[in-house]
Amino acid sequence: MEDEDQQKIADLIKELVLRLLSQNPTSDSQPLNPKSPSFHKHLRYALRILSARLCPSIAPDSAAIAESIKRRLVTKGKSSQALTFSELYTKFASKTGPGSVNNKWAVLHLLDIVSEDRKNAGAQLGSPLLLLPNLSLNDAESGDGDSRVLRRGGSKEKGWNNGVLVVASDSGNFRDIAFREFANFVKEENEVSEEILVREVLYACQGIDGKYVKFDAGSDGYVLSDSIKVPRATRTMVRKLCELGWLFRKVKGYIWDSMDRFPAEDVGTVGQAFCAALQDELSDYYKLLAVLEAQSMNRIPLISESVNSGNYLSLRRLSVWIAEPMVKMRLMAVLVDKCKVLKGGAMAGAIHLHAQHGDPMVQEFMRRLLRRVCSPLFEMVRSWVLEGELEDIFAEFFVVGQPVKAESLWREGYMLHPGMLPSFISQSLAQRILRTGKSINFLRVCCDDRGWADAATEAAAAAGTSTSRGGLGYGKTDALESLVDEAAKRIDEHLLDVMYNRYKFKEHCLAIKRYLLLGQGDFVQYLMDIVGPQLSEPANTISSFQLAGLLETAIRASNAQYDDPDILDRLRVKMMPHGTGDRGWDVFSLEYDARVPLDTVFTESVMAKYLRIFNFLWKLRRVEHALIGAWKTMKPNCITSNSFTKLQQAVKLQLVSTLRRCQVLWDEMNHFVTNLQYYIMFEVLEFSWSNLSNEMEVAKDLDDLLAAHERYLNSIVEKSLLGERSQTLYKSLFVLFDLILRFRSHADRLYEGIHELQARSESSLPSQDKSKSRKQMKDRSSEPGSWFSEGRKALTQRTNEFLRNMGQDLDSISKEYSSLLENFISQLPEQQHVDLKFLLFRLDFTEFYSRQHPSS
Amino acid sequence: MDSEAAKTARESLDLAFHMSNILEMGLDRHTLSVLIALCDLGLNPEALVAVVKELQRETLSSMTLAPPPPPSS
Repeated sequence: MEDEDQQKIADLIKELVLRLLSQNPTSDSQPLNPKSPSFHKHLRYALRILSARLCPSIAPDSAAIAESIKRRLVTKGKSSQALTFSELYTKFASKTGPGSVNNKWAVLHLLDIVSEDRKNAGAQLGSPLLLLPNLSLNDAESGDGDSRVLRRGGSKEKGWNNGVLVVASDSGNFRDIAFREFANFVKEENEVSEEILVREVLYACQGIDGKYVKFDAGSDGYVLSDSIKVPRATRTMVRKLCELGWLFRKVKGYIWDSMDRFPAEDVGTVGQAFCAALQDELSDYYKLLAVLEAQSMNRIPLISESVNSGNYLSLRRLSVWIAEPMVKMRLMAVLVDKCKVLKGGAMAGAIHLHAQHGDPMVQEFMRRLLRRVCSPLFEMVRSWVLEGELEDIFAEFFVVGQPVKAESLWREGYMLHPGMLPSFISQSLAQRILRTGKSINFLRVCCDDRGWADAATEAAAAAGTSTSRGGLGYGKTDALESLVDEAAKRIDEHLLDVMYNRYKFKEHCLAIKRYLLLGQGDFVQYLMDIVGPQLSEPANTISSFQLAGLLETAIRASNAQYDDPDILDRLRVKMMPHGTGDRGWDVFSLEYDARVPLDTVFTESVMAKYLRIFNFLWKLRRVEHALIGAWKTMKPNCITSNSFTKLQQAVKLQLVSTLRRCQVLWDEMNHFVTNLQYYIMFEVLEFSWSNLSNEMEVAKDLDDLLAAHERYLNSIVEKSLLGERSQTLYKSLFVLFDLILRFRSHADRLYEGIHELQARSESSLPSQDKSKSRKQMKDRSSEPGSWFSEGRKALTQRTNEFLRNMGQDLDSISKEYSSLLENFISQLPEQQHVDLKFLLFRLDFTEFYSRQHPSS
Repeated sequence: MDSEAAKTARESLDLAFHMSNILEMGLDRHTLSVLIALCDLGLNPEALVAVVKELQRETLSSMTLAPPPPPSS
């Protein structure tokens, strides 16, 4: 086949030469003899030419060639011919199949060159213009066809020696002349041709040092060494183009660096994703460079008349092509700089900040990059929110966990790490994410509950993603948000459900209120009755076992016995640490044992607050109890009413007045204590409890519940004057309480004394037994024997003295009481942070106290 | 060659001849057909053009330098 082809070629060439030689129109010489030596000579010549140029120097694009021909025709002014030509070309090009020309481009190229030559020759008439390199017939030289070096000339030369030809000097070709001169000039200036420079620049763009353009560590860039003679413009251009190389080096350096650190587990998952994304971008970049390199080898026909056609890819064209990759590379280099020291969520956040850019190309690029960089993060969020798992080896996630005991799991187990929070996740979203994962862990650890898994699957289904990997990504922050919301909603619901139903949170809260906050009145009364006498002993003689037994008795005697045994189980007696001189009253308290998971709500500090409130309420109760006890003795009874008829009038008067004063004082104190008690009961405890109940109804998650309970306690503490800002009031209140207790003991003594006198006055006969059977008096009382020796007068005198003393005591107590109470009441309006106007109103609704001393 | 192919070939040649006339190549149909055949076989068109030119120059030079022998009998 090939031989056949070769034979065909040889034949055709012979034919061609024959025909060309015989084309001579004026030749009337003998027809050419194919065998003549001149013919052979020509044939050999032709063959030499043909073998000299084996490859075409242009790209085989027939359409482009046709275009250039057309344009040439148009510029020559032959537009109609151009049209015809294009018609013909279309028809020509459409012919396919056997019988047609396969290498159409070759034919067109033929036509092209010929017409070009013709065009250049057209201006001349008669004198042949040849722009072919010198090929003498007899020499065996093959020429380099590309460079058309032309000598400047002004005259017509027709030298056939080994120089090269021509250039006409006529005016039509000024532009051509100018271009050719310029080409010459450029050639002289450049030591290195542009082609080579372009290739060097392309190498530099991949980080490779070329022959002339090398990386200079001193000036930190790719430079053309100064020794090479290149015009300054070119030098500047090369430097600008090599910026891309510098940027590339930086990015590549970072990638290599990171990859070196992979085995050391120094770079987190986000960093790895970032490297991978950068490498992808770089592979696109490589593709572009490959195309450019291919271009730099090829020529395509030129449309313009520029003679310095050299290569298609000049430095300037190159700069246009790499403008876009330059932008991208610059972006990548900036990101690389930013992210050298960051990792995890911080890296993602920093990159995100750079994505806030108006240029759509930059946005698209950044979005692609970020989608990959953030995928590990989103995966972590997903697994945290739907499964409560925190797989974070490199500490990149913004939720950090620490090992704590089960009871502080909720409050301290997991926290947000603001440094790792990327900027496209808002603070509130982060809080919700944290809470959801925390709830799952809480359920799993503290509540032993497995039902949350269903809730999680439901949530995922509702949000449209699945519980497996994928589905979430950067740019879909709202999808993330909706997933988190759904998960949060369901899991919170589930958690509250578990808390309320399985662990009976509400019931326990109520129980605490009834027992620790003395809500169960009958129980408290009974307890006080039983425990009271014991508590008057010094603290270190009291045994808590005994008290526990008494507590049990109290429970069984009251309505509390019908309560849930689990709740009753948790109620205990607690003796606080005491010093010497403390009475039982000071150290007695009740305690409620809240176990996991309720101790998340009822922590140590919370229980301490409850304890304080209990102490206060207990004291108040005690005072009330004391006053009621006093009332019991003060009831008007036959002893005090129909006795003393034998006494003198004066004594009787004194007695009555003392009694009355006692009564009056008792009333005042009772009024005070009762109103205070009512205030505490209704304005403080019940009010706060109803608020808490309402809030518990609407609570959406455990944080809400905790906050509501906190508020409840705080409001009770503040309103009961136990807060820090009510210290003075609190102290004066306690002084009042002490005073009341003292009054109680005085009243007791008074009545004892009266009874004693009663007994004495009734029996006029001395009786040692009777006197001995009397109760012992605590204050000044003489021996029984001394009464009778003195008789009635002495009795009266004694009575008088006794009553006078008691009267004085009562007076002093009364004065002290009034002053203290006034002080207390006057201080009430000064409390700005809590509203005590109801207390004030109750205590002083007739403004009795405030009018006594209008100046205060 | 079958008639179809022959027809296509003839038409292609016609078109090419027209194109070359527009461009004033000065080639006749036969020469052009030879050239096309050579191009089709893979020869470099630039080389072919060079050949054509050289030979044309030769003939012209032989025309000018060596005046044709006077038509003699």
